[in-house]
Amino acid sequence: MDGKVIVVTSGKGGVGKTTITASIGAALAVQGKRVAIVDMDIGLRNLDVVMGLENRIVFNIVDIIQGKCKIKQAAIKDRRIDNLFLIPASQSDDKDVIKPENMVWLTNKLRKEFDITLLDCPAGIEQGFKNSIAAADEALVVCTPEVSAVRDADRIIGLLYAQSITPKLIVNRIVPKMVENGDMLSHEDVVDVLSIDLIGLIEMDEKVVVATNTGTPLILQEDSKAGMALQRIAMRLDGHPDLPVENPMIQKSFWKKLGSKFSRKN
Amino acid sequence: MKFNTLLKKLMNKNESKDIAKKRLKFALLTDKLEIKADTLADLQRDLVEVISRYFEIDRDSIQIDIKRSEESSALIFNTPIISAISARSGREIPAA
Ligand SMILES: Nc1ncnc2c1ncn2[C@@H]1O[C@H](COP(=O)(O)OP(=O)(O)OP(=O)(O)O)[C@@H](O)[C@H]1O
Ligand SMILES: [Mg+2]
Repeated sequence: MDGKVIVVTSGKGGVGKTTITASIGAALAVQGKRVAIVDMDIGLRNLDVVMGLENRIVFNIVDIIQGKCKIKQAAIKDRRIDNLFLIPASQSDDKDVIKPENMVWLTNKLRKEFDITLLDCPAGIEQGFKNSIAAADEALVVCTPEVSAVRDADRIIGLLYAQSITPKLIVNRIVPKMVENGDMLSHEDVVDVLSIDLIGLIEMDEKVVVATNTGTPLILQEDSKAGMALQRIAMRLDGHPDLPVENPMIQKSFWKKLGSKFSRKN
Repeated sequence: MKFNTLLKKLMNKNESKDIAKKRLKFALLTDKLEIKADTLADLQRDLVEVISRYFEIDRDSIQIDIKRSEESSALIFNTPIISAISARSGREIPAA
């Protein structure tokens, strides 16, 4: 059976697409899938450093499309996680060297080799975005609980629907304390405005910065809340669609409640 | 609900996220009403064509615009009528 292609996109930049793509890819591979992660940000590659594979790039996506190498030669195998591969972006080419039809061709080849191909989409709605959605079967839309990010997500969702893709939503960088104080949009607010299905909630987590510093997979970091949320998203994508989405706030207030119960007794 | 959140609500203090949500909803609404300049030009051309079947109008003094206010949006089409075509040519106007 052919594998599927999932695009991770957002409209607004810096909301966590690359972090999320790398982590979901790693989690899916750990779950036993054969996974390719493709950096679609031509001219501004990032995924390689987030995944800690920047020293091993020989060929890139543009080389594959221009016939200068085979997919196997460009795909970098992760040494820590089996069955995880990165196809890096080119750093020197112009955005327009790849056309949507090239991506359709490439992903059709990748479908034969990999169970899941994840496309890390660049910010914006230009060429890189068009290339990514032309090739995708499914989409994950990432936003943060901010007016500008949610507005951009809404625009992206509209463009995905126009391509007959029904996206799922990830809300990233949630600060539970601020949500509790009414100083940050809650995920309910965001879902209410965007009215699409939620697939995951990720809180603001310092471990993300630590993992990126060292180029180690976030899901291998011990007790990272963001890492755990991302593993659960990967499970939802892979055979467990009904796994409940945990609210970072509920978890916290549960412990608080427990804590206050104990302190009352004492 | 946390105690100070409750307190804020009781004191009728606006939570900043409520303001965020309101602004967001309004932005999305107006975003969707925004149309390209050539769409408006196309609409004007089509409207002129339809109206010209019934009225003689001055094509140059037509105004078409979208007016937005905080509450609602309206499409405004304004044209002086020179004469009704049926009255002059005797052509029948189909009953609405
Ligand atoms: N849950 C999180 N907690 C803390 N920091 C985060 C979280 N998610 C992302 N970040 C940080 O936010 C920054 C932007 O993340 P990332 O590069 O993944 O975003 P992006 O959407 O891919 O950006 P771009 O649009 O530039 O490609 C990074 O410094 C990353 O470490
Ligand atoms: Mg990125």
